[in-house]
Amino acid sequence: MAKYIGLRLLQSVFVLFGLSLLIFFIARVVPGDPARQALGLLASQEQVERVREQMHLNDSFPVQYYYWLRSLLHGDLGVSSYTRRSVASDLAQYIPATLELILFATLISFVVGQVTGVLAGYFRNSWFDGVSRLVSYLGIATPSFVVAILLLFVFSQVLKLAPGIGRIPIMMQPPPVRTGFMMVDGLLAGRLDVTVTALKHLLLPAFSLAVIHIAQEGRITRTSIVETMQKDYITLHKVHGIRTSRILFKYLLRPSIIPTVTVMGLDFAFLMSNAFLVETVYMWPGFSRYAMTAMLNKDLNAIVAVVLVIGITFALVNLIVDIIIMFLDPTVRLRQGGA
Amino acid sequence: MPNASLLLEIRDLHVGFRIFEGHLRVLAGVTLWVAEGERVGLVGETGCGKTTTVKSVLRVLPIPPAIVTSGEILYRGRDVLRMHRRALHVLRREELTAIFQDPLQSLNPVFTVGSQLRDIVRDSMRTPEGRVLSRREIEARCIQALEETGMPDPERIMSNYPIQLSGGMRQRVCIAEALSTTARLLLADEPTTNLDVTIQDQILRKLDRLVDQKGSSVLMITHSMGVVRDLTQRIYIMYAGSIVETGPTRQLLASPKHPYTQGLMASVPRLTGRGVSEGIPGRIPNYLEPPPGCRFHPRCPHRMPECSVEAPPMSDVGADQRAACYLYRRSPS
Repeated sequence: MAKYIGLRLLQSVFVLFGLSLLIFFIARVVPGDPARQALGLLASQEQVERVREQMHLNDSFPVQYYYWLRSLLHGDLGVSSYTRRSVASDLAQYIPATLELILFATLISFVVGQVTGVLAGYFRNSWFDGVSRLVSYLGIATPSFVVAILLLFVFSQVLKLAPGIGRIPIMMQPPPVRTGFMMVDGLLAGRLDVTVTALKHLLLPAFSLAVIHIAQEGRITRTSIVETMQKDYITLHKVHGIRTSRILFKYLLRPSIIPTVTVMGLDFAFLMSNAFLVETVYMWPGFSRYAMTAMLNKDLNAIVAVVLVIGITFALVNLIVDIIIMFLDPTVRLRQGGA
Repeated sequence: MPNASLLLEIRDLHVGFRIFEGHLRVLAGVTLWVAEGERVGLVGETGCGKTTTVKSVLRVLPIPPAIVTSGEILYRGRDVLRMHRRALHVLRREELTAIFQDPLQSLNPVFTVGSQLRDIVRDSMRTPEGRVLSRREIEARCIQALEETGMPDPERIMSNYPIQLSGGMRQRVCIAEALSTTARLLLADEPTTNLDVTIQDQILRKLDRLVDQKGSSVLMITHSMGVVRDLTQRIYIMYAGSIVETGPTRQLLASPKHPYTQGLMASVPRLTGRGVSEGIPGRIPNYLEPPPGCRFHPRCPHRMPECSVEAPPMSDVGADQRAACYLYRRSPS
């Protein structure tokens, strides 16, 4: 099993290497002289030449790549031309905010999607199946920012059940930043009130992001449950008198969950770069919004970093998904692990 | 005929499947019964509705597309088809058990053998005082059940996944699962068809001995004459969704009366004698438009005009032996 994980890790390294080459290439073919861009129009030609020399821009591409990769590995991603701060510190601030949000959204979509999927599949063609089908189609068809605005309006404005925008109220003193996750930082600082407030602020945006994934994952689980239910072994579990709840959430769910887990991983990575509409509605200081701003302002260093982060997210999530599936499905484990 | 010790009784069961092309009329009046402690064989070629019959008794037919159009299934006099969900669950837990044809499909691939076996014992066994079994008692019962099937090293098997076991081992596990509890009626649906010939015999003998020890009743579904000869006291011959002949096993096999049974017996390959048997000409009917009257008449060498008009009733053709054929109808006197 360790061998399999090691192998997959090695594969991920190769993928990331390829990605870095691609990003480097794109960053270099974009028209415009990086040295000139850094210095501005007023700099003299000699100054530009000097900076070109400093930035290794006169060297061959492999040498340039080497220097680029070296600074990258040292955490030096350059300075953002828009925020005027180092890209690395921008990322350190924005990534945890988005991670907290989409982790929560993924959790919601997983739990709600699985439960509705299992019930709809088990009670196929019942009223529950019908209603969940209808709601799912609505959920898939409605853009997440529409859901976000609707939820914000109904729960925050009209019913006043949930707080509005942001991660915590402006009036609240934020805890010292350690992990960047507001809920975790609150706990670490021993301030439970922050954690609870942060959770309340998370609910609406996370749910807005989750809706479409609840619908999709629910449908996938339902299909897969219906398929598994026709297997002889499920029939025999019933005949042998195993409790219905156990069949439902153990024997039926586990073989059926495997396709959903794969989709869930992709959904998670997708949210990383596509949460910006919801982040905008809820004024969430997140990575996705940062990425969008960087693109709109042609902030090259930030764009490179953003693409890199998204690439790494995909590679990591896929690795994690593969490991989870290995635990869920012994056939994969026994075949790949050689144990 | 039906008496006090009757365990299972199926009366004139009609089951169909609604599919896109129309209505498949698969079971056309199956009538059979199993007495307490009795071993009964149900024989017929592939596609004649044996499995549909078994699944109807267990109430595990997928409805839809399956649909029970008429008939009754009585277990100790209680109608299984009209049973409430809860009562049905208790019936399956305490009275019925089954072994299916394909051991590769019969075990959940993502759980260990032990996990499945333990849950069966945990959910369906109680102590005589009605108490739930302790963890240790469950474990002991599972190991014992595996040991009884002649499985070496049951502790290791418990921690194995089905994929790690051979077909024969998996079928032993299925037998252990089926017999781990106190069920009274075993429905064995071709339990050895998908196994190696060398293993078939071992498994059957094991099954036979275990059933003997527990005193369970058995409905053995098979298309193998050898299996029914050795393991059953009475058999039903099924053709295209209805019972064509029934009687004590040895007597019926020695003197088959229904033309279909005769053809079936003639098709059994023998080691002695000349050549390969010719089999029965024709093939099992299309259930979308089954032939009217006796469903066997298009293939029957003795066909008469009335055969295609109405299905023949059962007639006595020997001691306890009955066949559904106009050849044996009593002359009206």
